[in-house]
Amino acid sequence: MQVFDAIVVGAGPAGSACAYSLAKEGLEVLVVERGSFAGAKNTWGGAFYGPVLTNLLPDFWQEAPVERPIFQHRYSFLSGESCLSVDYTGPRFKSRPYNGFTMFRAKFDAWFASKAQQAGAIIATGLQADDVLKNGGRISGIRAGGDELPARVVVACDGVNSILAQKAGLRGELLPGDVKQGVKEVLEFPPGEVARRFNLFDGGGIDWEFIGDCTRGLPGGAFIYTNKESLSVGVVVGLKSLVETGIRADDLLEDFKRHPAVAGLIEGGRLVEYSAHLIPVSGLGMMPRRLYADGFLVAGDAAALVLGTGLALEGANFAVSSGIAAAQAVLKATKESDFSAKTLCYYQKLLEESFVLKDLKTHQKAPHFLENRRIYSLYPKLACELADSVFTSDGKPRKRTWKLLREKMKGRVSFYRMARDLIEAARAL
Amino acid sequence: MNIIVCVKQILDPDLPPAKFRVDEQSKRVIPPEGIPFVMNPYDEQALELALRLKEKNGGKIIILSAGGQEALSSIKHALSLGADDGFALSDEAFDGSDSFSVAYILSCAIKKIGNYDLVLCGRQAADWDEGLTGPLVAHRLGIPVINLVREIELSNDKLRFTRVISGGEQVFDVAAPALATVTNEAPQPRLPTGWGIIAANRKQIAVWNAGDIGADVSLVGGRARRRKLTGLFVTERNRSCEFIGGENVLEAADKLAQRLNQLGAIR
Ligand SMILES: Cc1cc2nc3c(=O)[nH]c(=O)nc-3n(C[C@H](O)[C@H](O)[C@H](O)COP(=O)(O)OP(=O)(O)OC[C@H]3O[C@@H](n4cnc5c(N)ncnc54)[C@H](O)[C@@H]3O)c2cc1C
Repeated sequence: MQVFDAIVVGAGPAGSACAYSLAKEGLEVLVVERGSFAGAKNTWGGAFYGPVLTNLLPDFWQEAPVERPIFQHRYSFLSGESCLSVDYTGPRFKSRPYNGFTMFRAKFDAWFASKAQQAGAIIATGLQADDVLKNGGRISGIRAGGDELPARVVVACDGVNSILAQKAGLRGELLPGDVKQGVKEVLEFPPGEVARRFNLFDGGGIDWEFIGDCTRGLPGGAFIYTNKESLSVGVVVGLKSLVETGIRADDLLEDFKRHPAVAGLIEGGRLVEYSAHLIPVSGLGMMPRRLYADGFLVAGDAAALVLGTGLALEGANFAVSSGIAAAQAVLKATKESDFSAKTLCYYQKLLEESFVLKDLKTHQKAPHFLENRRIYSLYPKLACELADSVFTSDGKPRKRTWKLLREKMKGRVSFYRMARDLIEAARAL
Repeated sequence: MNIIVCVKQILDPDLPPAKFRVDEQSKRVIPPEGIPFVMNPYDEQALELALRLKEKNGGKIIILSAGGQEALSSIKHALSLGADDGFALSDEAFDGSDSFSVAYILSCAIKKIGNYDLVLCGRQAADWDEGLTGPLVAHRLGIPVINLVREIELSNDKLRFTRVISGGEQVFDVAAPALATVTNEAPQPRLPTGWGIIAANRKQIAVWNAGDIGADVSLVGGRARRRKLTGLFVTERNRSCEFIGGENVLEAADKLAQRLNQLGAIR
C-alpha cells in the first residue's frame, strides 16, 4: 500500500497553502476535502488581508478570482435608528500590493486548491477524514471513505471543528464560549449598481463593520463587504450569548438589513447565497498548548489561529501562514527522516516567530475585553446620542461637548468605569 | 463484458425552484453560482448496475459524458466508484445540442470505442426529464433497447433485463450488444471509497472533440435543433394569508365559504 509523504486534511486556505508548499518541493501530497470541490461549503465575510499570499504566489490577485481590492475601511455605531461612522481611506490602500481583497470562498478555495494540484498534490474531493490512524503512539495516516490511508505525517487543516485534532488528542471539543456564529447573505445587483451605491472608484471596495444594536447588545457585530456586483452582508455573534438569550443570528441579520443606515443600500438586492459558519475567537485562550504530535500537525482554524479584535477579524491570512509554516516543518522532518514531535515542534517555533502567534499574543486580552457588554449597547448609544446633540441646531443655547457627555453618562456609567474600559481597550486592542 | 455508461451532469434536482433563473431571451436556465452540479441520479444507478455486472462477470466499464468542465467532474466521480476509463465529449460545435444531437454525439463515441456488449443510460435526466437520449442512441447504433430496467444479469451468454411495469415486471433475454435505460427501482448507488477517489484523481480523462469521434458538425449544436423552445417558465407559487372573522361561528363560516367560492376553491 502506498504511504503518502503527507496527508493534508481540508482544502481551505490553510490546507491549500500547506499542500502547495509541500508539492512544490516534490513531496507526494494527498489533500482530503469533504466538499464536492474545494470551497463548496466554506464561507467567510470576507476579505483576505496582508502579504502572505503575495509572498507565496506573487501577484496572485491578477490570476485569482478576487472581487475588489479594499480601498476603504468604515466603522459604524448603530443605536436605534441612528448611525455614527468613522471612515478611513489612504493612498497606500489604493496601490499595489494591495492591503486586502474581497473574495468568495467557493471561488478562491477552488482556485487555491488548483494551484496545489498544478504543483503536484492530489486533491481528493468528496472525501471526509473520519479518524487518524495510530501506530504505537504516533499518527500514521487517516481513515477516510472506509479506507486506511497511510502517511508519514498528517496536517490537520480541517477548520474550526477539527475532528482530527480532537482524535489526535491535541484539543477537546469546541465550547460555545470560544466561538462566534457568523451568518451571511450575498445580495446581487445589476452591473454598476454596487459601485454607484457605495461611491466606489477604480474597482476598489469597502470593508464596513458595524457595532451596537445590530446584535441587540450581544457581543459581536455586523458587516458589509462590497464584491464586484454584489454585497456580502452578515452578522457575527457570540454563540454562548445566542444560546443563553435564545436570540437567533438570522433574526439579527434581518434586523440589521432593516436598519435605516443599511436598508436603502441593499434595497432590491437579489439573494443569491446564504451561509453560516463558526469562528474560533478565543485566541490563545483556546489554542491547543501543543500544535504538533508524533506524525501530526494542526493549522488554521483547527488550531484556533484567528485574530478577532473587534476592529479586525482575520483568519484566512493566519491560516495560510500557519499552513506554510507547517509545510516548512514537514520539509525539515522529511530531510531528517524524523517525523516525531521532537522535529515537528519546529512548526510551533516558526509560528512564535511570525505574526501569527505574535499578533495573538499582542491581542491576547482582546477576547476577554470583547465580552464587555457595554461595548455593544451603552457605548454605541452614548456615541450616537452625543453626535445627535452636537449636530442638532435647535435654537436653544448650546452646551460644551464635555458637559453633554457627562449628562448622558449620568446614572448609566461612571467616569471611573468608562476610564477603566478605555484603558482595558488600549491594553487589549 | 464491456459496458459503456453514458452520464450527464445536472443541476442538483433537490434545489428549490427559487434558486433557478430563466434567461427569457435564450430560454436557458442560469445556474446559481457556487452550487455544484451533480451526476444525474438515474445515471448513478445505471453505473451501479454496471459495477455489479463487472464484479460478477469481470470486464471493463467506460464512461462517456458530453459537456464541458462539468462532464469531467461526473466522469471523475464515476471513476472513483470503480469505472475503468472515461471520455469527455466536448467541442464548441456541440454547444446548444438537444437530446437528438447528444444521442448522435454519444453514438459516434460508442462506435469509436467499438468493442462493447452493453450500453447503459439513466431512464431520463432529472433536469428536463425527456427520457429521449437512451432510446435515440440505441436507434443510432441499430441495437435493441430496453427501458425502465431494474436489474441486469448475464445468463447463458445472453443479457437478461428485468424491466419494471405497473404492478409487475417483465424479463427480457437479449443478445449483446444492447442498450438499457435504468429506472429508479434499480439499487441505490454506492459511495466512493478513499482509494477510489485517489485513483480517480490520478487518472487523466481524455477529451474527444467532434473530429476525434468523426461527428458531422451539421448534425449537432444549436443549429441542428428541429424543435424551437418558445416558452420556459418557473411556476410561480404565491402564498398569502387572510383572516376571516364574523360575529359568531356561523357568520364566520358563511363568510369563509363565500370567500372560498370567490377564489374558485369550492363551488
Ligand atoms: C462569517 C465569517 C466571516 C469571516 N470573515 C473573515 C474575513 O473577512 N477575513 C479573514 O481573514 N477571515 C475571516 N473569517 C475567518 C476565516 O474564514 C477562517 O479563519 C479561515 O477560513 C480558516 O481557514 P482554514 O483553512 O483553517 O479552515 P476552513 O476555511 O474552515 O477550511 C477547512 C476545510 O476543511 C474541510 N474539512 C473539514 N473537516 C473535514 C474532514 N473531516 N475531512 C475532510 N475535509 C474536511 C472543510 O470542508 C473546509 O474546506 C471569517 C469567518 C466567518 C465564519
